[in-house]
Amino acid sequence: MNLLRLGQHEAMGSAWHTLSYENAGHTWQIEVPHYSPDQLALLAQRVRASGAALKAMPVSQIMAAVDQAMARLLDAQNPQRQLLELWLPRITGLDAEMVGLGLNACFKTFRTPQLQRFVAQDFGNPKCLDEFQPSPKGGMVRAVGPELLVHVWAGNVPGLPLWSLISGLLVKAPSVGKVSSAEPLVAYVVAQVLAEVEPRLAPHVAVVWFQGGDAARERLLCEAADVVLAYGGNTSLAALRAQVPVTTRFLQHGHKLSATLVSAAALDVHTASHTAHQAALDVVRFEQQGCYSPQVVYVARGGRVSPKEFSELLAQELAALQHKFPRRDLTLEESAGVSTWRQTQEFASEPSTYVLGDAAAPWAVAYVDSASQLAPSALNRTLKVMAVDHVRDVVPHLAAQRRFVQTLGLAVSPEELQLLAEPLALAGVTRLCALGSMTSPEPGWHHDGRFSLLDLVRMVDLEASAESAAESYASYRD
Amino acid sequence: MSLTLCSPPVAPTEEVLVQDLLAFTAQDFSGQNQLLDEAFNQLALRLFAHQFEFNAPFQRFSRQRARTPRTVRRWQDIPAVPIAAFKEQTLSCWPPEQCERVFMTSGTTRGDVRGRHFHPHLQVYDTSMRLHFQQRFMGEPFSQPARQTLQSIRMGVVFPDETLMPNSSLAHYLQLALHTFGASGSRCLVSDTGLLVDDVVASLQDAVASNQPYALLGASYSLVHVMDALQERGLRFVLPEGSRILDTGGFKGQSREVPIQAFYKQLTHFLGVPPSHCINMYGMTELSTQFYDAGNAQLPSLKSGPHWIRSRVVDPLTGLDMPAGERGILVHCDLANFNSVTTILTEDVGLAQMGPDVEPAGFYLLGRAQGSQAKGCSMAVDEFLRATQS
Repeated sequence: MNLLRLGQHEAMGSAWHTLSYENAGHTWQIEVPHYSPDQLALLAQRVRASGAALKAMPVSQIMAAVDQAMARLLDAQNPQRQLLELWLPRITGLDAEMVGLGLNACFKTFRTPQLQRFVAQDFGNPKCLDEFQPSPKGGMVRAVGPELLVHVWAGNVPGLPLWSLISGLLVKAPSVGKVSSAEPLVAYVVAQVLAEVEPRLAPHVAVVWFQGGDAARERLLCEAADVVLAYGGNTSLAALRAQVPVTTRFLQHGHKLSATLVSAAALDVHTASHTAHQAALDVVRFEQQGCYSPQVVYVARGGRVSPKEFSELLAQELAALQHKFPRRDLTLEESAGVSTWRQTQEFASEPSTYVLGDAAAPWAVAYVDSASQLAPSALNRTLKVMAVDHVRDVVPHLAAQRRFVQTLGLAVSPEELQLLAEPLALAGVTRLCALGSMTSPEPGWHHDGRFSLLDLVRMVDLEASAESAAESYASYRD
Repeated sequence: MSLTLCSPPVAPTEEVLVQDLLAFTAQDFSGQNQLLDEAFNQLALRLFAHQFEFNAPFQRFSRQRARTPRTVRRWQDIPAVPIAAFKEQTLSCWPPEQCERVFMTSGTTRGDVRGRHFHPHLQVYDTSMRLHFQQRFMGEPFSQPARQTLQSIRMGVVFPDETLMPNSSLAHYLQLALHTFGASGSRCLVSDTGLLVDDVVASLQDAVASNQPYALLGASYSLVHVMDALQERGLRFVLPEGSRILDTGGFKGQSREVPIQAFYKQLTHFLGVPPSHCINMYGMTELSTQFYDAGNAQLPSLKSGPHWIRSRVVDPLTGLDMPAGERGILVHCDLANFNSVTTILTEDVGLAQMGPDVEPAGFYLLGRAQGSQAKGCSMAVDEFLRATQS
């Protein structure tokens, strides 16, 4: 069976569009409903109008439903889970085992305790999502989610849509999410499972597909929304932003660059290979397609293992991981990108630069004996290792790309962590984490330094003056 | 315009090489495929040995790939230098400061860094250009062999001349066309203030009145500017029979982007030149030889070069030829690149079209490989460069 049909129950008599994927010599097809602009407008209107029922549901019940959906999706016997495991490798080309592990890491981020932490992260008193709550400043506050939240998802990392979809539900925002052609599957399946475990949620989540850059449909959705949350390249974000009315909140997650920092403390003969293994895992997971995936590794001199030796260890680990998680087939364009990147490194004017790995190897590590500012690799397991004298020397190199820097994976001593945290924060880094954890951010993380939930809501102040003024009009007034 | 001839070469071997090369370009190999194959291969290997010896960065690059004059026996095995290397390194056997001319890339893809192609003299470049231009643009029909070859034609060039753009290989190419093949009344129709619209209109009117074939040449985007100007003035022309148009280089964000089919249709609409007489030239700053098609009545059109350049369609990672019928990245081995490197790895996607013999008859150009296509929020090089430039 080479064809999968998605979103059948919500098709509203629309046309179907076939998305084709070629991987490992096979062609796979996914059919998705392709709504006409009128149908799309109607759908957005219907989802928006459904909001009252969602707003009346306590957050705890929404969490329970999400938790139950995640339980199903974590169950290896569940048919929808099996569908994801079968089809995600087909459409993304990612290794099946890597997909399985990635899905687990993702779904278990959204169980009840994590969801509670998620909400507590943004709201001092999470009950303000249900009703007015007393505020420390006096009076009362209430957090109200948007009437319609529109998501525009990217297809780089499977599972990415979950973050915003679930954030929307937690603030009781009816959602229309547009999937990308590159990975339409996860959002459809999760929406379907949610609707099954809690039918009351069904009317509030709609997943749609249309070609990215379809200005008419984008405009129509943006005009219907209170908040638009978009992921993608800076060019497509700029085009999308032009479609958003000035009164509508536009939240964006554009291009980011991430890096790894290895201190001399992590480079004794016992720990160095473990450090290299963890660093390599961050590279291999999702083939560096995530904003949190490292593209540069800064390594400090002074350890028992030199930066150059560390780059060799890293190369060995990447070679070893190829057996466990083979790299997906690259498109001609991606191959050309990798080849150009490689050869640019080889031809670099810096004479100390050399590239490890055969030209046809499914990974490449470039080593350079001096450090420069953060810059992208060709992704797909290509990585530049740069030597620094001291861990703090990375700060200016990251600060030089302050608009783009996001995650820094760290293998440093406690003293260094203390020394570095503050200057790194000022340099623009928004997330510091352990090596090996770069691709699985904590629940409630501040993605690109923003609030996942707080950014979505409107806070309503019921000031003390209104309370006391009301007293003067009470029937029981003195 | 004056053309300086050969100055003293970098090594005595080079003078001989250049003479042999010029003789090779002038030789007629029709019906002698095997002879041509051998002669091409031999000259390519001699040039490889020369460049390996006199160009240190190229030698390092070749050694990294274990390719030396000892191991390389076929032109296909000469390591293909990525065009990005023209930005990083000085790829010249001659000391750059002694070179008569350096052509630079327009720098659209990598910030301020421009690729540089050094020419100790332009004798080879100009010979290569003239010989092939005459075959492919002056003859009619454009599919070989031509029944009739013009000695000259009245030309309008819609691109700045060499004084305005001394480092543009295209400016040089077009001026050379104009000076070599332009009949009286030929001229450049662009000044430092831009397109000279009044002069364009006058030239077209004169061409129609004279009833002699006319040729309009320029960058693809310049031709769009011409059509936009004619549209604005409400003008259309039907140029005399035998008139022709040469465009090159695409739009590069310099004009509105026009789908290729519409582009040739609009040229017919505004100038009365049918797509069969619209020739697209594919050239690169990093080469000394150009490719042409035989008109654009059918798209995509087949591109091919003269006998001193050969192309392959490869897998960019392995450098091996793609199986027949599969897209790959274009590699060109241009013997006229005697001073830089003969063999370059482009960033262009192509598809080989096999000829009656084992050698490809040419290739279809299918656009540029845009590096890693960034699908989401991880940044790829191309996106990064665009973002940092904005």
